[in-house]
Amino acid sequence: MSPPNWAAEKGILLMLFKTHRMIGIYGMSIRKNFPTRLAVGLLIAILIDTVLQLVWKVAVLSLPSDGSPWLNVQAILHRPLFIFVVLLMPCQFFNWLMVLGKADLSFAQPITSLSYVSVFCLSVFYLNEAADLVQIAGIIFVLAGVWFISQTDHVTPPKESEA
Amino acid sequence: MGQATVGVLLVVIWALLEGVAQVFLKKSVLEAVRRYLWISLGVVILVIEKLIYSQALLFLDVGAAYAISSLNLISVTFMSRYLLREKVTRMRWLGVCLIFIGAGLVAVRT
Repeated sequence: MSPPNWAAEKGILLMLFKTHRMIGIYGMSIRKNFPTRLAVGLLIAILIDTVLQLVWKVAVLSLPSDGSPWLNVQAILHRPLFIFVVLLMPCQFFNWLMVLGKADLSFAQPITSLSYVSVFCLSVFYLNEAADLVQIAGIIFVLAGVWFISQTDHVTPPKESEA
Repeated sequence: MGQATVGVLLVVIWALLEGVAQVFLKKSVLEAVRRYLWISLGVVILVIEKLIYSQALLFLDVGAAYAISSLNLISVTFMSRYLLREKVTRMRWLGVCLIFIGAGLVAVRT
């Protein structure tokens, strides 16, 4: 097993930061009336979702293909990564409650779809998966969609939510 | 009913339940009085939907299930508009539809 390539991971993190900044999360945090805590909460939600999906992918890929479903479940339960995932889940839940306390559900939920972009980029660069034109088109659609949503108000004014 | 149809039906039910669970979680931060009731209901539904999703994977390919599951964006937005009375503008709907299409395109090749 080769030693971890930290330079590559740093590069990926920098790329993710630039992507998120480009599509607006960082921009939103410096916009007037957009709470920094909400921007950070959304970023954490996307990062945790990305990690959970990647760990799941790695776990599934590492399972023996000839094992029974029960043997596969046992193999997953004995992995240290599984404990890491179990610890991350409550963090994700409480962070999500904090985000919902500061933004509309119809605003926050679609923004977290950026994890499709993060997972795709990391799968291509880290897991060496092939990317095709259909997936790249999908990523452009997701980025465009998140940009449109980031241009709307993050919370409904109280009068309209009561109407 | 074919296996694929059952799988699609289960994922659609999952997407609807995801919308309901998210509405309950949002209610928990809106209403201080019944906060823990809403959280508990939300968590129970999240657990049920996970079981339904894992059943769906018995009938469907992972990529297909993942692609159809982006339907949850539509259900969450729809329920936010009509159950939580959130202001969902045309621009927000456009964004949601673009993400729905994009997520489907990315996931279908997973």
